[in-house]
Amino acid sequence: MSAQYGGPAGEASNYEYVTARVSARRASLFDEDDYRKLVRMGTGEIARFMEETEYGREMNALGARYSGVDLIEYALNRNLAKHFNDLLRWATGEAYDYIARYLRKFDAWNVKTALRGIYSEAGADAIRSDYIRAGEFDDDLLEQLAVADSVEAAIETLEQTIFADALREAYDDYEETNLLVPLENAVDRVFFEDIDEGLPSRVQADRATELYIEFITAEIDFSNVRNALRLARSGADMDPAAYFIDGGRLFDAEELRQLVGNRDQLVEHIRESIYGDDLAEALTELEESDDIVRFENVLDAALLAFADRLANRYPPSVCSVLSYILAKEREVDNIRAIARGREADLAPEEIETELVML
Amino acid sequence: MATDVKPTRKNLMAIEDRIELSERGHDTLEKKRDGLIMEFMDILDQAQDVRSELEDTYDRAQQRLDMARAMDGDVAVRGAAAALKEHPEITTQSKNIMGVVVPQIESTRVRKSLDQRGYGVLGTSSRIDAAAEAYEELLEQIILAAEVETAMKELLDEIETTKRRVNALEFKLLPELHSNKEYIEQKLEEQEREEIFRMKKIKDKKEAQERAEREAAEAESVSADD
Repeated sequence: MSAQYGGPAGEASNYEYVTARVSARRASLFDEDDYRKLVRMGTGEIARFMEETEYGREMNALGARYSGVDLIEYALNRNLAKHFNDLLRWATGEAYDYIARYLRKFDAWNVKTALRGIYSEAGADAIRSDYIRAGEFDDDLLEQLAVADSVEAAIETLEQTIFADALREAYDDYEETNLLVPLENAVDRVFFEDIDEGLPSRVQADRATELYIEFITAEIDFSNVRNALRLARSGADMDPAAYFIDGGRLFDAEELRQLVGNRDQLVEHIRESIYGDDLAEALTELEESDDIVRFENVLDAALLAFADRLANRYPPSVCSVLSYILAKEREVDNIRAIARGREADLAPEEIETELVML
Repeated sequence: MATDVKPTRKNLMAIEDRIELSERGHDTLEKKRDGLIMEFMDILDQAQDVRSELEDTYDRAQQRLDMARAMDGDVAVRGAAAALKEHPEITTQSKNIMGVVVPQIESTRVRKSLDQRGYGVLGTSSRIDAAAEAYEELLEQIILAAEVETAMKELLDEIETTKRRVNALEFKLLPELHSNKEYIEQKLEEQEREEIFRMKKIKDKKEAQERAEREAAEAESVSADD
């Protein structure tokens, strides 16, 4: 992989091949029975169970460095990275481009991990171990980031990446406030801006691109909903437009600014949108209990279901891959939630309510 | 009984002065002790409330942290925590409760808004917000508990000291002073009695001498007449 983005240029897309490989991978994901078994196990049993699954190789490889639930978490992350790297390896042409765009969220994660590590003087080893090497950054670039001796040096290291301009612009704010918020927001914003950069309009797009756009639009909408609710709840004097991600169809920046001040209107706006039916139950629950965390789980499940629906509608498309990416991420999140939940002595029923399953 | 006290009238007066002073001090200290105990009982109630609230807040914060670590991962939670270097500022002043100096702890920048926590909003979840918020609340409770429990401890120490002083006055110093006073009084009375006895003896002796002289003079005058 290279820090210079782009797959094999000029090659044709191989959606059929990638979709076939992804279907096989998807079939081996944990099912509800596996989760039901896992929530009733202790952390040691979970680790042993995982050694016998497809996470076994990572568990054994990391067994000397980590133990307990940390071992499980790092093994999950490494396995996730391996699977997503496989996707990039298999895909060519437009398929590669769309998958890579989506997986750049891990590049964003790694940039933030490095910045946080440098900022808090955590040391290069801590940064290296917290990377999730599932994006496009190559090992050299990640290593240079990990050993950078200042935030400024790290930003210079990212010169050849899509994050460079935004980070340079946000650096003044960082210097002024000595807080990472401007840099982190800049990195996340670049990811969302890049994801639909240069795509044709929905009308001009072919079927695969149209579905990709539809999925990305939903993801952006859900992110805007999530951020709007968090801002509304925090009561902080923050400009909602600064956290607005362009490219969705649920709000524009001005609408969001007005709705953040009035949560009832915000909920009503979502209820009347195209996502209203999918989120109806969650919105009612949110109105009654004010539990955003629960609502976020429902949003994740809704996005997963939405991706599945798109994938079923047109199987040999990028949507099947994106749906698999979400499902794999969800599997990792679920296993980690079970292991960490058991470590914290949470009751199986309590853990089950937090799992997102379809 | 302190037998090494010189049984003089001057000492007796000095002891009487000390007894008066000690009794006054004893009364004052007793009042102080009772006042401190009343203050302590008030603070004890407050401390019990704060402690029980602290335990609830801790359980809630831990539960939210567990949830955030479970759902977002330990790496994400650690990462979000590492995005802030600034620590809350704690300043201590002191206030006086019946002569006992107790700390008054003021904290700033414990509670933070979403944009002050260091981590970016777009790439994190509300589980991390919930954990951060719960820990900010916990920190405030810890600071309050530190203030109340330190005040309680200082008061308790002062009550103990005052109680020891009251007891020392009541059961040691005052009984000793009273006993010394009694001893001196007895000695002085004894000395007085001895003095009276001695005076009586001298008087008897003088009277006997005078009588003898008178008788001798009378005998002399009889023999001269003869």
